[in-house]
Amino acid sequence: MSSLERQLQRLGQELAYPREPDVASAVLARLDRRPFPWRLVAVAFAVLAVAVGAAFAVPQARTTILKWFHLRGVTIERVETLPSAAERSQAGGLGRPLSPDQAARVVGFQLALPPRTNPSRVYVLEGALASVVLRAEGRPLLLSEYRSGNVDLLKKSVGGKTVIEPVRVSGEPGLWLEGGPHTLTYFNQRGEFRQRTVKIRGNVLLWVDGELTLRLEGELTKAEALRIGRLIRSG
Amino acid sequence: MVDRPLDDAELVERAKRGDLRAWETIVRGYQGLAFRTAYLLSGSAADAEEAVQDGFVKAYRALGRFRRGSPLRPWLLRIVSNEARNRRRSAGRREALALRVAAADRPGDAVPSPEAALLGGETRARLLGAVNTLSEEHRLTIACRYFFELSEEETAAVLGVRRGTVKSRLARALARLRDELGEEDE
Repeated sequence: MSSLERQLQRLGQELAYPREPDVASAVLARLDRRPFPWRLVAVAFAVLAVAVGAAFAVPQARTTILKWFHLRGVTIERVETLPSAAERSQAGGLGRPLSPDQAARVVGFQLALPPRTNPSRVYVLEGALASVVLRAEGRPLLLSEYRSGNVDLLKKSVGGKTVIEPVRVSGEPGLWLEGGPHTLTYFNQRGEFRQRTVKIRGNVLLWVDGELTLRLEGELTKAEALRIGRLIRSG
Repeated sequence: MVDRPLDDAELVERAKRGDLRAWETIVRGYQGLAFRTAYLLSGSAADAEEAVQDGFVKAYRALGRFRRGSPLRPWLLRIVSNEARNRRRSAGRREALALRVAAADRPGDAVPSPEAALLGGETRARLLGAVNTLSEEHRLTIACRYFFELSEEETAAVLGVRRGTVKSRLARALARLRDELGEEDE
């Protein structure tokens, strides 16, 4: 190796790089169970249709009762025919990694987080949906939030084995979705219909807190999700 | 019995069987180099982080196609580098990333190694200035080969070119640097 080459190696040890992020948690969260749908939700931000591919398991009476749920910014319906959805890898990211302050400026609200949670990264998609990866008892959870306003932004169509239950989170209305692979369909921000489907398998707690609609997904029981949901308060 | 660290091949085999802890070990082991490489290619820390994250997700899902016995590092770097290049392209970012030296005595910085300390301030500034005048393809080749100390095969993977191209670019880049620095060929 020439003297110039040795000098170049030494120079390499002195170069400045941005602080190296730890992406392991985010990578594992995305791989742990299924592709996370957050990117699509965020990109779309209009209609989310969640359907279940299995045979209908819900008795007719219950199906009727469960036919419509409404939570601010979200409508959920059961459907008999599911959108075709391949269980494909959704390697898309959670969004641009930003500092919490930058993320708050972009989305226009302060994230609601559990106490003593100081995420170094908040992922923001389309300037609308903010997501953080949390860990609870060693398991990764994905918390996503958006300002829902009064417009229905999400629509879920659910059939099959997915259980939907109305719940209360700190007195606010919420919905618990459990079981079954879901498929996801959405509209984009401009209201144009775009359909992309992925399957997800995590249980989901959706609820509202002030102007925000929050969504927590992970391998959680309903009790665990509610307990965590109650801890998450907007500032 | 003392546990020994698993090598890449064992970790990959475990990850192929769905062992996410094995994959986590791989991610933690390579994310630093992957990030620096992606930063160099994309010119943006945020894009680099996204590229690294997406790259490791895609790599895990592509493990079925990973040939047993192949070196893991160039394969990972190729995937992450593709992600980084795509981001730069879609961002329409044309300006090349100018390399700079770390500020001295920054809190939390590692103490420079004795070898690094041997490079005097003036030499360092001239050398860095010369590197920054190189064309992008020459600068990236120099960075991969000497700054990151990648092998030629790994450099080729990162840059998406053949190994022969790496060799010829290196030779030309070094010659240009010598010209710039007014040095004789060795």
